[in-house]
Amino acid sequence: MANVTFDGVSKVFGDGTRAVDALDLEIHDGEFMVLVGPSGCGKTTALKMVAGLEEVSVGAIRIGERIVNDLTPKQRDIAMVFQSYALYPHLSVRDNIAFPLKLKKTRKDEIDRRVREAARILDLEPYLKRKPRSLSGGQRQRVAMGRAIVREPSVFLMDEPLSNLDAKLRVQMRADIKRLQSELEVTTIYVTHDQVEAMTMGHRVAVLRKGELQQVGPPEDLYQRPRNMFVGGFIGSPAMNMLAATVEQRNGTFEVVAGETRIEAGGEILATHPALASYEGREVVLGIRPEGLEDALLVDGSAGRPRLRGQAVLREALGAETLIHFSAAVRPAVTDEVRELAEDIGDDRAPALTGDVEAATLVGRFSSQSKIREGDAIDVAIDERALHYFDPSSGDAI
Amino acid sequence: MRALGLGVRTAILLTFAVFFIAPVVWLLLAPTKSDEALITSSPFSFGDFDHVALAWKHLDAFSDHVYRRWITNTLYYALSATAITLVVSVPAGYGLALGNFPGRKLVLSATLVVMIMPAAALVLPIFLELNALHLIGSSLSIILPFAFFPFGVYLAYLYYATAIPRDLLDAARVDGCGELQTFLRVALPLAKPVVALVFFFSFVSDWNNFFLPYVMLADSNQYPITVGLSNLLSSTPSFNPSVGGGGQSVNIFKPELALATLLAVVPVAIVFVLSQRALVRGLVGGGVKE
Repeated sequence: MANVTFDGVSKVFGDGTRAVDALDLEIHDGEFMVLVGPSGCGKTTALKMVAGLEEVSVGAIRIGERIVNDLTPKQRDIAMVFQSYALYPHLSVRDNIAFPLKLKKTRKDEIDRRVREAARILDLEPYLKRKPRSLSGGQRQRVAMGRAIVREPSVFLMDEPLSNLDAKLRVQMRADIKRLQSELEVTTIYVTHDQVEAMTMGHRVAVLRKGELQQVGPPEDLYQRPRNMFVGGFIGSPAMNMLAATVEQRNGTFEVVAGETRIEAGGEILATHPALASYEGREVVLGIRPEGLEDALLVDGSAGRPRLRGQAVLREALGAETLIHFSAAVRPAVTDEVRELAEDIGDDRAPALTGDVEAATLVGRFSSQSKIREGDAIDVAIDERALHYFDPSSGDAI
Repeated sequence: MRALGLGVRTAILLTFAVFFIAPVVWLLLAPTKSDEALITSSPFSFGDFDHVALAWKHLDAFSDHVYRRWITNTLYYALSATAITLVVSVPAGYGLALGNFPGRKLVLSATLVVMIMPAAALVLPIFLELNALHLIGSSLSIILPFAFFPFGVYLAYLYYATAIPRDLLDAARVDGCGELQTFLRVALPLAKPVVALVFFFSFVSDWNNFFLPYVMLADSNQYPITVGLSNLLSSTPSFNPSVGGGGQSVNIFKPELALATLLAVVPVAIVFVLSQRALVRGLVGGGVKE
């Protein structure tokens, strides 16, 4: 058991790429920390530096009280689960799991006991004699877990261990890993690009972008109080709607104006976002979570609430709720963050995104009772207490 | 039209096949006939096994069983050089593929250059070198120059650079292997196909090596089979009319030569079959998700 500390850690590759930039992060003893971010954000590099598979260019990594920069992976008392599982194809499941113990010259009966225990926990008992190639993806993944837990290491490192599994199995393994981690209470660093995994598994989540730490905190903190546009846009599915808006003052009251929609920034909003007043006459980015939108017909007393008028483009009925994609006459916020997030989800229109269009497509998470059909002209109520405001140039939350 | 096309294609293929197969068939049949019958009877007729036995008797009797010694010598030279080759070239290829050290590219390019250099071009400098070391005429003069097999290094390099996932080696390091153990416990067992390949190519090239031993060795008792066969050839009256005069009786004729050649191929064939088995693909399958 140990905590892991990144102390101003940077990684610069030979070609000058700065994969990790001045990372300061402390992972507490027994904590499940998730590093999340789009591909190329440096999360795997950060993990490999803890493992000793990548050298640290600047700064120090500590495991417990020891600075481990110059220690070999072998000396660090860690175990790692790889995205590719990295099972030894020439060894049986039993020998794969026993491999690290044999290297430590553990007594034979002890190896046997621990392998059987791991196999029991992971339901691998029937497969111990098999070779990895005759196992399914999920079984291979469990063997990789087994090889990590028999070590009884002070830190678990997991590099996107679920990304090669199909969706159903992923949900189950997510729960299994979480349960296992809380039973074993081993400090765990878990790397993923899947924000759902990040939200559901981690005690705390660290969001990285281009090698820089954006925000670290409990999942709900990141969701409720994103420190910047990137975190706001990355965490949450469907993603936060980002609109260009301006702050105006009318009759002594501040209003946030997006297209024809005027949102009164009264005392309550100003109390939580005091800096908003200083943006008077300037542009801001208005972030609206899909659940901050609702079919106006279903909201009691929605008359006084700010609204967006638009046209339904797509209806996705999920059973408990309905996602409505609709276009509205508001300008989408287009910043580097928005482009990067769009690229990350594989939207190849991303580089061409400009803020010049006068209609944005938004997603609302509506009650399943909503009768909206594709093509309908709709009225959408905005929950003004659930809005986020960002500075368009710095991307920081206001 | 289609039938005509097929006919033409078949005719071309058959012509080529016959052209290349005919000499092999002739060689296989040659030891079954007498020297005279080899000329007079149909080239593709089968004689009898008595002639094979007789040819072996003559061959074996030649110069006090020297043929057997040649085979033994060749096995000794080829296996020793191949053993050293394996010990050297597999780790070398591994290092070149996965290591990160100054001069890596230079060593790799040098390996390639030496690989494409004809072996005969190096014989003179090697001769001078071994002469300086007083090794001329010893078996080391044959084994040492062939213990470095650049093609083997290159094969191992290619294999490690393409077929072994880096994650496997990283996993071994995290699991507690040092660099040597990572190689011995993970990289080497996974390289069976390439070990077999290097073994085969190195063995064949050592077995067929002619020029180097021809230059290095003076004593016919030390000859490998290649030099021996040429020696045998020059002892055949039909190729060298000066032999057999002056009361010598050398019973080496064309059937004996054919048999000597065929027998010399047998060890290579055995090695081929053995390495073929280990070349079965898919050894890496299942370890990592592709």
